[in-house]
Amino acid sequence: MPEFGCQEQLLPGETLERKWEFAQAAGYHAIELRGRGEYALLDRLPELRRAAAAGVVMPTVCVEMSHFFAAFDPELRADAIAQLKSQLSVIAELGGQGVMTPASYGMFSRKLPPFEPPRSEAEDHEVLLAGLTELGEHARTEGVHLYLEPLNRYEDHMVNRLEQAAGLIEETGLDSIRIAADTYHMNIEEDDPVTALTKAERHLGHVHVSESNRFQPGTGHVDWPGVLGALAAIGYTGYLTLECRLRGEPTTALGAVPSFLRRAS
Amino acid sequence: MSLGLRERASRVLLDNWHGQSTIPASGLYPHQWSWDSAFIALGLRHLSPRRAQRELESLFGAQWPDGRVPHIVFDASTPADAYFPGPAFWQSAAVTAPGHPATSGLIQPPVHALAAWETFRAAPELARERGFLPRLYPRLVAWHRYLTGRRDFGGRGLVSIVHPWESGMDNSPAWDTPLSRVAPTTSLFTRRDLQHAAAGERPTDLDYGRYVRLAQTYRDHGYADDLATHAFAVEDPLTNALLAASEAALADIAVELGLDPAPHLAELARVRDALADTLFDGGDGCFHARDVHSGQPLRCGSVAGLIPLVVPGLPVADALVKTTVGPRFRLGEIGLPPSFDLTDAMFEATRYWRGPAWFNIGWLLWRGLRLHGEHELAATVRAGLLSAADDVGFREYVDPLTRNGHGASDFSWTAAVILDLLAAA
Repeated sequence: MPEFGCQEQLLPGETLERKWEFAQAAGYHAIELRGRGEYALLDRLPELRRAAAAGVVMPTVCVEMSHFFAAFDPELRADAIAQLKSQLSVIAELGGQGVMTPASYGMFSRKLPPFEPPRSEAEDHEVLLAGLTELGEHARTEGVHLYLEPLNRYEDHMVNRLEQAAGLIEETGLDSIRIAADTYHMNIEEDDPVTALTKAERHLGHVHVSESNRFQPGTGHVDWPGVLGALAAIGYTGYLTLECRLRGEPTTALGAVPSFLRRAS
Repeated sequence: MSLGLRERASRVLLDNWHGQSTIPASGLYPHQWSWDSAFIALGLRHLSPRRAQRELESLFGAQWPDGRVPHIVFDASTPADAYFPGPAFWQSAAVTAPGHPATSGLIQPPVHALAAWETFRAAPELARERGFLPRLYPRLVAWHRYLTGRRDFGGRGLVSIVHPWESGMDNSPAWDTPLSRVAPTTSLFTRRDLQHAAAGERPTDLDYGRYVRLAQTYRDHGYADDLATHAFAVEDPLTNALLAASEAALADIAVELGLDPAPHLAELARVRDALADTLFDGGDGCFHARDVHSGQPLRCGSVAGLIPLVVPGLPVADALVKTTVGPRFRLGEIGLPPSFDLTDAMFEATRYWRGPAWFNIGWLLWRGLRLHGEHELAATVRAGLLSAADDVGFREYVDPLTRNGHGASDFSWTAAVILDLLAAA
């Protein structure tokens, strides 16, 4: 049976401990933290340590910043890498598993004007590889994983499909980098999302669940039995973590997801 | 980490999925096969009901205007010479019109309505949303109408098959006599099957030459169903039993769609009676095919003669059950169904349909035994099939005595049947 995670901002409650109470009652097994810039996660360490001591399970961090490790601007790139390294160290200290990031988000889309990015594909590749290598080595040192999350074509112009992420990871040769698959983005980008998961077998490290419409699972047309069957067939034992918008009354919507996914598996 | 049987079986179906249907096995069978797809849907429904529905929809999307469901639908993305006989041999477009998927012109046993009903039952809400049965039902009816309307060569209310490949049991000893009358083709051709499987586990070259001759003749007559065209014409108990079982499923489907099930129940009764009256031999407690040309029964110990167990209300079920556990099939003892009489000198443990145990046949017997209240024996068969797959993997067929695996590996219907048996726990 899969275990479920939920991102912290979706959960009701003022503190992580309160959120955890709700999450457990709703059928979740972990909370995913959001990693803001300016070392916000590092600043939260006392809060996070207290929550960990209280039994809150927080294995992963999803970066939440305005710039990312493959930004066009070298200074923003450097800052994103510094932030991610710090977040990797924080999650390592908490005994967690890793931090996920896209190559970029909201920076450029080849599908929207002006269509041609200011940087060539070859330069993109160089930047991606350099950033991933630096972050992957830091993750390895800390004993955690960096999860590279492909986004759809309207949100990122560099890494959209699992096989692109797998190719980059193989080029770095680093086991400390894994793919974070997101079913919403996959629905847009993959020829067949179910087949893409089995093909990503070797590198898959984390899964975000979200519907074809970006709402919670059960509201759209993702083939959940197929997705969950593929994950079971490749021996994926990580979390299925909810990252989505919520349709309907939020606590009801959150409470419906674990039972929906369990029924589909 | 070692994965469970369910996960390993799922992986086979996931890897063999080709976008809208499942290939039986990579290499040996790189297209869509008709009765394979029906058995595959029975397992796929537990993995992805949507894919299971697509499996059957895509097969019936290649149905001919005359209602026949072709035994192979060629995958346009697979090289034309990957399989023999390929699209260039069959020339289906000459009959079905351009723009139609390339297919063969033969058929395979009609297990589809049964698979469609079971696929519906696995996810009724999704099926209703997608209009699965309303779209499929008229096609299933047209398929059965083709069989009963165009293939009753014997005039006894039973469907005739016109090629050993149509039986699904290509080289069964049951076909040796009628096939011996067929002159092998003089055309040159290259078998592709022997690139993927050992010659000793496949039909012989002589048989293959005859298969090609029969198919050529059918093709050259525009796939017309005229007895005079067919050197080979037999009433096969497996084909007719699955037709009857599928009529029972059509009755269930009709009820779901708010239609009258009575015509399907009448067809079930008609085919069942014709089967029992004309193909059952009380002497050896087994059904035998009948050669339409000679009018003679093809008496031999093919496991096809036990498959009428899947027919609801079969009056001779008790006698058939006795035969399954007798010395010729020893089902209660070995749990796997040999495809041919173990006591016959022609039994070959590893050659295709002349002895090896097949998982779809096991599944049909398991279903038939449960249908007739033989739950203990059904459980033995279920356990035999599960343990064989667990031991040797999802092989195309296994030696029923040694349980060694043979033929293709990662064979789709083997994995599908295992998924269904696991779900029946």
